Amino acid sequence: MAQIPSLDNAPVNLTSIRDQSQKELITILKNIRGRKCLVIDPKLGGSLSLIIQTSLLREHGVELRHLNADPIQTECTKIVYLVRTQLDLMKFICSHVHNDASKGLQREYFVYFVPRRAVACEKILEEEKVHHLMTIGEYPLYLLPLDEDVLSFELDNAFKECAVDGDMSSLWYIAKAIHKLEFSFGLIPNVRAKGKASVRVADILNRMQAEEPVNSSEMGVPEINTLIILDREVDMVTPMCSQLTYEGLLDEFLRVNNGAVELDSSIMGIQQEGKKIKVPLNSSDKLFKEIRDLNFEVVVQVLRQKATSMKQDYTEMTTTNQSVSELKDFVKKLNSLPEITRHINLAQHLSTFTSKPSFLGRLDMEQTMVEAQSYDICFEYIEEMIHKQEPLVNVLRLLILFSVTNAGLPKKNFDYLRRELLHSYGFEHMATLNNLEKAGLIRKQESKSNWLTIKRALQLVVDDTDTANPNDISYVFSGYAPLSIRLVQHAVRSGWRSVEEILKLLPGPHSETKRSGFASSPSFNTLPGAVSNMDKVSDGRRSLVLVVFIGGVTFAEISALRFLSAQEGMAYDLIVGTTKIINGHTLTETFIENLG
Amino acid sequence: MAAISVAAEWQLLYNRYYRKPEIYSMAWKNVDLSRNKVACASMGGPIAVIRDDSKIVQLYAESALRKLRIFNSAGVQISETVWKNPGGRLIGMAWTEDQILVCATQDGTVYRYNIHSELIEPTISMGKECFEQSVVECVFWGNGMVCVNEANQLFCIPDFKNPKPCMLLGEVEQLPMPPLCVAVIEPQYTMSGNVEVLVGVDDDHVLLVEEDGGVQQVSVEVGPIQKMVVSGNGKLLACFSHDGKLLVMSTDFSNIIFEYNCESALPPEQLAWCGMDSVLLYWDDMLLMVGPYGDPVRYVYDEPIILIPECDGVRILTNTSLEFLQRVSDSTESIFKIGSTLPAALLYDALDHFDRRSAKADENLRLIRSSLPEAVEACIDAAGHEFDVSRQRTLLRAASYGQAFCHFQRDRFQEMCKTLRVLNAVRNHDIGIPLSIQQYKLLTPSILVGRLINAHRHALAVRISDYLGMNQEVVIMHWACAKIAASLAEVVIMHWACAKIAASLAIPDDALLEILLEKLRICKGISYAAVAAHADKSGRRKLTAMLVEHEPRSSKQVPLLLSIGEEDTALTKATECGDTDLVYLVLFHIWQKRPALELFGMIQARPLARDLFISYGRCYKHEFLKDFFLSTGQLQDVSFLLWKESWELSKNPMASKGSPLQGPRIKLIEKAQSLFAETKEHAFESKAAEEHAKLLRIQHELEVTTKQAIFVDSSISDTIRTCIVLGNHRAAMKVRTEFKVSEKRWYWLKVFALATIRDWDALEKFSKEKRPPIGYRPFVEACIDADEKGEALKYIPKLADPREKAEAYARIGMAKEAADAASQAKDGELLGRLKLSFAQNAAASSIFDTLRDRLSFQGVS
Repeated sequence: MAQIPSLDNAPVNLTSIRDQSQKELITILKNIRGRKCLVIDPKLGGSLSLIIQTSLLREHGVELRHLNADPIQTECTKIVYLVRTQLDLMKFICSHVHNDASKGLQREYFVYFVPRRAVACEKILEEEKVHHLMTIGEYPLYLLPLDEDVLSFELDNAFKECAVDGDMSSLWYIAKAIHKLEFSFGLIPNVRAKGKASVRVADILNRMQAEEPVNSSEMGVPEINTLIILDREVDMVTPMCSQLTYEGLLDEFLRVNNGAVELDSSIMGIQQEGKKIKVPLNSSDKLFKEIRDLNFEVVVQVLRQKATSMKQDYTEMTTTNQSVSELKDFVKKLNSLPEITRHINLAQHLSTFTSKPSFLGRLDMEQTMVEAQSYDICFEYIEEMIHKQEPLVNVLRLLILFSVTNAGLPKKNFDYLRRELLHSYGFEHMATLNNLEKAGLIRKQESKSNWLTIKRALQLVVDDTDTANPNDISYVFSGYAPLSIRLVQHAVRSGWRSVEEILKLLPGPHSETKRSGFASSPSFNTLPGAVSNMDKVSDGRRSLVLVVFIGGVTFAEISALRFLSAQEGMAYDLIVGTTKIINGHTLTETFIENLG
Repeated sequence: MAAISVAAEWQLLYNRYYRKPEIYSMAWKNVDLSRNKVACASMGGPIAVIRDDSKIVQLYAESALRKLRIFNSAGVQISETVWKNPGGRLIGMAWTEDQILVCATQDGTVYRYNIHSELIEPTISMGKECFEQSVVECVFWGNGMVCVNEANQLFCIPDFKNPKPCMLLGEVEQLPMPPLCVAVIEPQYTMSGNVEVLVGVDDDHVLLVEEDGGVQQVSVEVGPIQKMVVSGNGKLLACFSHDGKLLVMSTDFSNIIFEYNCESALPPEQLAWCGMDSVLLYWDDMLLMVGPYGDPVRYVYDEPIILIPECDGVRILTNTSLEFLQRVSDSTESIFKIGSTLPAALLYDALDHFDRRSAKADENLRLIRSSLPEAVEACIDAAGHEFDVSRQRTLLRAASYGQAFCHFQRDRFQEMCKTLRVLNAVRNHDIGIPLSIQQYKLLTPSILVGRLINAHRHALAVRISDYLGMNQEVVIMHWACAKIAASLAEVVIMHWACAKIAASLAIPDDALLEILLEKLRICKGISYAAVAAHADKSGRRKLTAMLVEHEPRSSKQVPLLLSIGEEDTALTKATECGDTDLVYLVLFHIWQKRPALELFGMIQARPLARDLFISYGRCYKHEFLKDFFLSTGQLQDVSFLLWKESWELSKNPMASKGSPLQGPRIKLIEKAQSLFAETKEHAFESKAAEEHAKLLRIQHELEVTTKQAIFVDSSISDTIRTCIVLGNHRAAMKVRTEFKVSEKRWYWLKVFALATIRDWDALEKFSKEKRPPIGYRPFVEACIDADEKGEALKYIPKLADPREKAEAYARIGMAKEAADAASQAKDGELLGRLKLSFAQNAAASSIFDTLRDRLSFQGVS
């Protein structure tokens, strides 16, 4: 199975978006004649693997390299850099050029910025006196379909840049990406935003519409009816909790990167010593599509059931006489055998992690923190983690959860834990702590926490969760319903009005706008739960809600959204846009800044 | 009859008819092609004429200064300029695909002119080799050029859109002799995608030079080639050999398609392809058309001519006229061929009868009833190939007459009428673009409109784009701003506005603004900024400012505001629109123009601008950023920068670990510490910096005393562990007291350190020193982690909490003991979990079941 997912079942035509991106890349390569060495920013490598096969790149005379500090070893005289517009990447390019110059190598340089050129980056090239040697262009990759219902803007650092550095560049990129979608699928008439960044994106989006209008009269009924934008900052509790869905757990323990996990081949039952293999995980895998969103406990049962029934069929096949059509059915079933084996292997590997007492202890602790009832137990648990020098990210992740649910720590505790952290992990982490404090993730307590009110009002903790036959999104965390998705649930059903009071307790402003461009009709003023005429696209498909997370979204949250969209009485299909797929670990990592 | 006279003008080449109608009689006076260098653009483009300085010519009543004159194809002058360019003799002159006139002079300078005889900056130099060794020959193609200099080196400009001259040949080897002839295969037709140059040299071979420097010798069996030319599709090559033979072969030289023996060994003055099927050779007075079969056709001219190859024929320019030599199309032939009885001919004839009210009309129609649609189609098609308007009309009338009697696609008819209207409009003498229908299709209407705009034929351009319904069609105009995708009408109006500004120097700003806005409003989304930029270029500041206000696109507005010095407004607009790239643009602009303090002042009150500046500074301009923080009193940020620098110092290879160079690092940290201390809120940071400096000193000492460079830059806890692992308990104790490490942490650290070196005796001793302040759990965990069950069992019974005890037993696989402890804890959930971990062990699992049942039973009662 390929890592590039089939997007045929997507609720909107995402294939055309991907094809467009592929075509643009190939045009860039074609315009640079002859053989060339393509040096890509490692972060982009993953994104590109979802757009184009490496073999296709080779067909266009491309030698592939990753961008780092080492000089480039190649016979090619044409060097093509494909980099995100990140200031810190420029120094690599400059050092390469300087290095070539000192060796007397004459090369042609091309720099393509993703998603667009940036003055600041070019300024550095200029100051380093290499700008005039380069041909500069851009590769407008603003969004990338990860799967049938998930789009990524591939902005890994968006949250950190906004929350810590005050660099809002990513907000413009996000708005641009959404605006691009509007050019394909029509102007989105309803926009609901919560959080500082989200409200700003909605604002920029309106500006873009004024500057470069999407002509809605030509496009007919917009395919996307509502856009909901949420800041990650609004809900920092959810990502810090360990995800318990199948896909979520895979990400927590094995890191799902661009729709694939990389692991030792021995785990997948292939006996090749020390070799890594990539296992693609997307909806083109029918079985995965079925089980990815289930609670892991249930996944184990489902797999067992499938394996047993397969075995039963097989015994019947060998012992009794079968008709040809029965044989045919059996062979059809056999086709799913590789998928079943693959997921049994993965699940088995996962359970070696989930059965560890340390993991169970941690889940307990997360639960306790979300309940926010026993401050001292939590505090001591974290203190002991630090003393045991457990991996820093694990400690910080729990500490963030602890600080967020308590609206910060009392000054004495705050200073004590910070000191213990610096003593245990080194003073270079001062910068990390400073970042986290700036972002408000680990901070001094200044007012009473309103977490308990929020928790109660939105029913975030659900006591009797049946993970096998769930009736609420809380199944994804075995009892905790993610706050972000609860908000979406309300926003879809009846807009912000019903949760106005709760929204005020959460960080950042909120906004709700109607956008015309489409002939306005009064029936548009309320977004009814029942299907009205306007919500139906002519061919009978359900209309769409695009939920955008600024700062990333976890697989568990996506699962919860899919669960919502599959509920009876739900009038919409949901698709997700995110700056990046994250989990508590990867999100925390973006804040770590080694001074050393 | 009319039909006969039409075919009477045709010439037969083997089985194909050719004709060469005169399209224009030239409007110019006193232009003698033989005295001038002439460049004619293909696709009915303009003609550039300049006196040939390589010939001795008599001057009549004219200035000695040479004039470059540009005419349309009908000889109507468009523009002229005096040629004053240095650089010696003009060697080559040609039009590019974008209708830019390229003139190459002896010293390797290439001048470019637009159709209005305006020099386009910059001029291009082919390099010092050409400057020193004069250019002797140039060959042009679509958008490129190749030239040869006296040193027999070969140079090339692959693409005038991005003019970068390069040397093809000459670095290591040169051409063996001055070339006899040069031809190019355009990049679009070569395998490599690079231009390939064919050079005819002595003996019997041709050199094939590629852009990336490869040279191949291709031998040709016919001896030295005197002249060659590549066909329009790049596939065939026509050559004239030294012994008077014309050869046509494929461009890879693999096979000779045909050869023809000319009577003259003298090479022709001009050699050209006529479409794809025949080759024209021109000697003084004589034009010879040679095809693969049959006798050639001869034309005689008593005045000089110039052959202009087109995709579907050749235009022949003389001093007085312009003719178009083309193959007669099949449809035309079917109608006008003498004695033709094909349906189309009969239909055409029927119309004639009908006009004369003769009953034969009906007779003719009956004859061709079944093939009427194809006859109609032929008439429509033939109309398209006609230049003569009245004949177009007759043919279309014939078609429309036939159409009345059969079912035929009306669209086809309408479409042809539209096309012909456009063609006739541009063929008008004044416009002078004699496009054939095939050329028009190849050129595309949008490019035609573009050319009209360039020639300042705005009215016609708007009317054509309107007429063809091209307003909605979005065409990317590369010569408009590269980033705007503009509709055609937009481009036209824009162009009009710019021309208007240039022409209306006397009109006051307000009035001109009104005039401009009136037209600009027609087009929604038009770029006001582009017009404003033009106004700015014309030196009209006030008008510029007024126009900028109307621009909705910030990306266009901001740069203009900068260029007219409105920096503050620019920064505000950029910040508002959320496009950080624009904010950076403004920042760098101010940075460059203003003193630092002014920049600091401007950004201080604007958070986005300030934060972006800081991000850039962090990455690239530390010192400048420090100045900024100092100027705004953000001392803690300066401290962080200094602290960061202290680590960078440690990466310096000079400051290898253990060397006394820790000194400067510590100084930096102390400086940071004192700055932190300035503000009360940063007491924590200040203390941390102080401890860090102290730690570095201690670690440095430790490295000196232990002679092991393993301490610097590890944390306090790690330092303690390292000391214990090394057996240096005194040092460990010292670090502990220095930094007031708590009892709790101390126990964890020491236990783990001892377990690392597996010193179980020391561990036991340590456990007995006094009652451990955090109980025995660390001891149990350390032993279990090290897989020492026996050691672990020493401490498990000492655990206070029965649940911990149960789990510890479970972890070392002692089910019975675990169960006992768990039942002591009376925790059902724990029992369940433990049972899971003993899932493989049936006996153990049953123990848990019974225990749990008992427990739940108790719970109920």
